[in-house]
Amino acid sequence: MSTASSTLGSSGAATSRRAFHLRMILIVGIVAALEFYGRFVADATLFSPPSKIVQSFFTDIMGDARIVRALWICIVEIAVAYVLSIVFGVTTGLLVGATPFTRRAFFPVVIALYVIPQVSFLPLTILLFGLGPAAKIAFGFSHAIFPIIINVVSGMRTVRELHLNAARSMGASRLDTIRHVVLPHMVPSLFTGLRLGMTLNLLGVILAELYVSNSGVGFFTRLFAEDFNPGPLFALIGSLAIIAIAFNEIVRIAERRLTPGAHRKTIIKTAGKEKQ
Amino acid sequence: MSATSPNDIAISIRNITQRFGEEGAPDSVLALDDVSLDIRKGEFVCLLGPSGCGKSTILNIVGGLFRPTSGTTLVEGRSVEGTPHTDQIAFVFQESTLFPWYTVIENFRIAMKFRGMAASEWDDRAMKALKAVGMASFARHYPDQLSVGMRQRVNMARGICVETPILLMDEPFAALDEQTRMVLGEDLSQLLAATGKTIVFVTHSLAEAVFLSDRIAVMTARPGKIKTIIDVNEAHPRSPDFMLEPRFSELRNQCYALLRDEIRATMAAQRDPAGVEA
Ligand SMILES: Nc1ncnc2c1ncn2[C@@H]1O[C@H](COP(=O)(O)OP(=O)(O)OP(=O)(O)O)[C@@H](O)[C@H]1O
Ligand SMILES: [Mg+2]
Repeated sequence: MSTASSTLGSSGAATSRRAFHLRMILIVGIVAALEFYGRFVADATLFSPPSKIVQSFFTDIMGDARIVRALWICIVEIAVAYVLSIVFGVTTGLLVGATPFTRRAFFPVVIALYVIPQVSFLPLTILLFGLGPAAKIAFGFSHAIFPIIINVVSGMRTVRELHLNAARSMGASRLDTIRHVVLPHMVPSLFTGLRLGMTLNLLGVILAELYVSNSGVGFFTRLFAEDFNPGPLFALIGSLAIIAIAFNEIVRIAERRLTPGAHRKTIIKTAGKEKQ
Repeated sequence: MSATSPNDIAISIRNITQRFGEEGAPDSVLALDDVSLDIRKGEFVCLLGPSGCGKSTILNIVGGLFRPTSGTTLVEGRSVEGTPHTDQIAFVFQESTLFPWYTVIENFRIAMKFRGMAASEWDDRAMKALKAVGMASFARHYPDQLSVGMRQRVNMARGICVETPILLMDEPFAALDEQTRMVLGEDLSQLLAATGKTIVFVTHSLAEAVFLSDRIAVMTARPGKIKTIIDVNEAHPRSPDFMLEPRFSELRNQCYALLRDEIRATMAAQRDPAGVEA
C-alpha cells in the first residue's frame, strides 16, 4: 500500500505538472483565437479582442470612480450576504440536525425551499428590499443559506455510531460529544455546503445586480451594451468573474486550512499534494 | 479454584436477557437469554461463540452502553444501569475507534479529557502506553496514516493508558496479522501479570482464547447462553512455549468441539456461512 502510493505519488507530481502545461496551452490558445476573431472577424460593436478588453479594464473600469465604487459595493454585498448565510445557515443546520426528531420534522421543509428556482422571486425581492444593496444581499443570502443548512444537517447525520459509542464509553458528556465528535466529523460536509453556498451566493448577488439597471454594476453593463461598446462591457463582466473566482478561492483556502487533519495526506504522500 | 467471596468479584452478570426490537415484531432478535457470569478480579475471561451469539452485546451491557432488557450487572459491586463506569472500565472495540480528525496523541488526550483526568498526566500516560505497543514514534500521525494493524495497536494502547482495573476488549486483534496478534497477545498476558487487570476479551480465535484466558466462556448460538466454562490453569505471563504443550491443543480441540455444533446451528439458521471463522 505504502510503496504503491509513493510510486503513484511521484508519477502524480509529473502528471500534475504536465496537466498544468496543457492547461496553460489551452488557455493561451483560446485567448489567441479570441484575439484573432476579435481583430479580424467580429463586428467591433459586438465583440472586443482580449487585448482591448484588458486595456479597457485599466482605462474605462479602473479609471471611472463610479464603476469602481459599484464593484466595491458588489464585493461588500457578496461578503455580507455570505457571512449572514453562514451564521444563520450553520445555526439552523445545527438545530435541525440536533436530533432525529427535529431532522424529520424540519428537513423536508429545507429541501423543499432549496429546490424552488429562486429567480422567479427576484422581482419580488427587489420590490420588498428596494433597489439598493439590501435586495442583493437578501437574494445572495436566500441562495446561499440552503446548501449550507443541508450540508450541516447531513454532516451531523453521518456521524458514525462507532465514534459516538467510543465517546460514550469514555464518559464524554453531551457537550463533549458535540464538540469533539459531531462537529469535527461535520467539517468536511460543512465546507461542501460553504463552497456550494458561495457559488449560489455569487449567482444570487450578481443576478440581482444585473437585474437592477438604474444603478450599480447593472446600470453600467446596460450602458455599455446599449452604446455598442463591448470593450468596457467585457471588462466589467470580467471583473465580476474575477471577484467570483477570488471569493471561491478564499473558501477553498479556508477549507484546506481549517479541516482538521486535512493536511495529513501531504505528510506521507509529499508528492501527491494536488487538490483533493 | 479458591472460594470466591463477593469482594473478589470484579464483574457480576446476573440473568441478563437482551431483546432487540419489540417482542413479536418481525425484526425482533433475542440476542441473549438469561446469561449469568461472575468474573473475578485479575482474571482474564474470553467469550467464545459463533458470530451473532451476543458477545459484543454482553460487553456493551457491562460497559454501560445500553441497558439490557432484563437482568442486572454489577461492576465492583455497583450496578451498571446503562451508564459507563469510566473510572473502572476501559473499552477496546472491534474496529478502531480512533477519531480520524485527531492525531494519535490527541486521541489519547481526548480519551483522558472525557474521563476527567488531569491534563498534566495526559502526555506521560499516552507515551507510556504507546511505547508498550511499539507505536511511540507515531504519536503525531493521523490514524489514516497508519496501517490497519498499527491503528489497532494504538487503539488498544488508548484503552490501556487510562489504567482502569477492568478492560473490555471486543476482538481487538481481529484486524491484525497472526504474528502481530501473537506478540500483542504475549504483551497482554504480561500486562495482566504486571497490573492485575481484569480483562474480558472476545475473540474468534481458539488459539488466542486458550493462550490468553484463565477461563473461556463458550457460548451457544443465538439466543446466546453460556454453554460451558473451560478453565485454563496456567499462570500469567505466558510464554509461547505454552502453545507447544499437549494441554494447549487439548484445550483448543475441546473448545472447537463445543463450538462446532453451535456454529452448524448458526449456519443452518442463517444459511450464511460467510461470517463464521473456524
Ligand atoms: N443495536 C442492535 N439492534 C438490533 N439488533 C442488534 C443490535 N446489536 C446487536 N443486535 C443483534 O444481536 C445479536 C448479537 O449481536 P452481537 O453483536 O452481540 O454478536 P457477536 O457475538 O458480537 O457477533 P460477532 O462475533 O459477529 O461480532 C445479533 O443477531 C445482532 O443482529
Ligand atoms: Mg461482535
